[in-house]
Amino acid sequence: MASQTPAVVMDNGTGYSKLGFAGNDSPSFVFPTAIATKGPAGGGGGTGSGRPAVANKPNFLSGGAGGHLSGKRGTEDLDFFIGDEALTAASGPGYGVHYPIRHGQIENWDHMERFWSNSIFKYLRVEPEDHHFLLTEPPLNPPENRENTAEIMFESFNCAGLYIAVQAVLALAASWTSSKVQDRSLTGTVIDSGEGVTHVIPVAEGYVIGSSIKSIPIAGRDITYFVQSLLRDRGEPDSSLRTAERIKEEFCYVCPDVVKEFSRFDREPEDRFKKYDVRQPGGRSVTVDVGYERFLAPEIFFNPEIYSSDFLTPLPNIVDTVIQTSPIDVRRGLYKNIVLSGGSTLYKDFGRRLQRDIRHLVDARIKDSEVRAGGQARSGGLDVQVITHKRQRHGPWFGGSLLGQTPEFKSYCHTKAEYEEIGPSIVRRFALLGGPGST
Amino acid sequence: MLLLDYQNVLIESLLRDRLAPDASPSSVDQIVSDFDNVTFHISTPESKSKILVSITIKCWKELVTYGAQAILDREYGPYIVQPEQGYDFSVQVDLDTMASKPQEEKDELVRRVSLLKRNAMAAPFEQAFDEFASLQDQAKNYSSETAPQGVREGGEVRAIHYREEEAIYVKASHDRVTVIFSTVFKEETDRVYGKVFLQEFVDARKRGVQNAPQVLFRHDAPMELQGQPGLRGGRGENVGYVTFVLFPRHLTPQKRDETISHIQTFRDYFHYHIKASKAYIHSRMRRRTADFLQVLRRARPEEADAGKERKTASGRTFRAQA
Repeated sequence: MASQTPAVVMDNGTGYSKLGFAGNDSPSFVFPTAIATKGPAGGGGGTGSGRPAVANKPNFLSGGAGGHLSGKRGTEDLDFFIGDEALTAASGPGYGVHYPIRHGQIENWDHMERFWSNSIFKYLRVEPEDHHFLLTEPPLNPPENRENTAEIMFESFNCAGLYIAVQAVLALAASWTSSKVQDRSLTGTVIDSGEGVTHVIPVAEGYVIGSSIKSIPIAGRDITYFVQSLLRDRGEPDSSLRTAERIKEEFCYVCPDVVKEFSRFDREPEDRFKKYDVRQPGGRSVTVDVGYERFLAPEIFFNPEIYSSDFLTPLPNIVDTVIQTSPIDVRRGLYKNIVLSGGSTLYKDFGRRLQRDIRHLVDARIKDSEVRAGGQARSGGLDVQVITHKRQRHGPWFGGSLLGQTPEFKSYCHTKAEYEEIGPSIVRRFALLGGPGST
Repeated sequence: MLLLDYQNVLIESLLRDRLAPDASPSSVDQIVSDFDNVTFHISTPESKSKILVSITIKCWKELVTYGAQAILDREYGPYIVQPEQGYDFSVQVDLDTMASKPQEEKDELVRRVSLLKRNAMAAPFEQAFDEFASLQDQAKNYSSETAPQGVREGGEVRAIHYREEEAIYVKASHDRVTVIFSTVFKEETDRVYGKVFLQEFVDARKRGVQNAPQVLFRHDAPMELQGQPGLRGGRGENVGYVTFVLFPRHLTPQKRDETISHIQTFRDYFHYHIKASKAYIHSRMRRRTADFLQVLRRARPEEADAGKERKTASGRTFRAQA
């Protein structure tokens, strides 16, 4: 039965969860990875069981009193909302909102299990026994987390089969749709920039080179804050975070040269300066001028000093360092296939600027070494290519959808029977999907 | 969430977004699943403003023999188009013509289209309920002894093989409609949970929920199903038969639609709750483990204090001998 149904692809990120069926070109549902439960919001949620430290001595035989679910005997465990409904419910009384995923990793398994249950039954509306599941995980996810995930998927939901893929590898697979990609290789550098953090992840033949991963504390949220601060400095009538976000999404782009861009704005003000109408709550409508932030906001990737005082390395340098610290035999492949993924890489000409800056760095280094060699050795040059494609926004999800619809996908999954035979440790290893030898 | 929704949330939200006053049409092409091997295809093949929603159901042929076409004609009349290749039934929503309609009409359309699966599956139930009404009328003319064969025995059994191994059987009599589900559990654990759940259903009437339909659960095929092909049963097999006896009060025209919706989602509801209870038990297990770990952490032996300086009450110090 499970052989005909499309696989379910779930990409649960820190900010948003992307859910859908393999074979589609966009996820069916994209909503915040949030769950609203009765009671106040859990502040820390750092412990494995997701409960705050109890001050008094817990009575471990009676299961303990207090707000935890295990003390309840009714249907309280079904009283929760996920996604956008969670945020709506949490704005009213009685519910507190929780974010079960932090920094890409699942922190609260109780909440995550219920989040999945609702995703599957309410939103996707599938019987998990009939479908194979493709889940994603961040690079450097501890194997214990994989095992926990497998326990939930197999024991709670009895899903027909499970595959857990690394997001960066799926992002590489998503780039196969670009016309610039000729060979479907799984070697490349993934620049994954979402809401919270930007990762630069080198992948060789489908395996992440963990020791070389670097992250940058500048991502979508910082760009929004930066736009907001520029609006505030100018004294615009509306400088809410929401307005800043809309301006960021609608007007921002990457320019080749900041100084030239400033003078171009001064030369042709009517083309460059824009107006944005904000409808404020209460029915008032104000107009916000949009000026230099159009190109300055994404510029914080390339010149972080204009925004941050403690993180000063530009993104191209980070990418270069990441590749230089990777094994020497894959570096050429990593330079040739730099893939963008995530919402904060969608600015116009982002890829072009990145490619140019990295190429400058590489060329300078090659020249330097040629000079030092005293003209003895000539370099054949190095090909730097940044791939931009249409599916960047939900890159990992789309890659999952692409691989999940291939006929051999199901043979790569671990099935429930295999899980019962070997136990949770089975998910520590997966055959590489989409690697050499498959279509 | 105690009850599952009857409508498909994706179709609902998608249509609502597209029908919103300030929405701009955009192309869409999605194949999505619903419970019980139902597949939807939502696409915009001709132009961005014409959304085609197609459905394929495993038991479509059976549903047609029970009059699904008439019900779908009634629900979707003007929107029906030629079924898409590979699908059983299609409706098309034209956003341009809908744009000028009042909001209520749009909402009604969204509701109807998102209930496509429910309406298609409703056919055998509606037919059985109608048959019940006519049998009830006939039965008024007879006492229980004099009733002719057809009236006393009730109508034929309508079988819907909606899943590979499971089916719904609907049978109308003059005083009731019987709905029988055959259920198969792949997992031993699920079977145990399922048994507990079904016992609750069976006992519901004893607990004062007098309006509930009578529920029976047994492992071999009930009498009503005698002569049906492909029945399995007996102790050795994992098959169970859940019988719902719907009484006239469930079949009044006002309650009818609600009853059909509820009973249709029974299997999914059942499985959802089995899974939700497992999640609940897991959360208790995690909590218990965390508690035990805490106890273990506290029970760590104290640092061996041999060789440490100690003080007597009078203030003199000495070294404890190991």
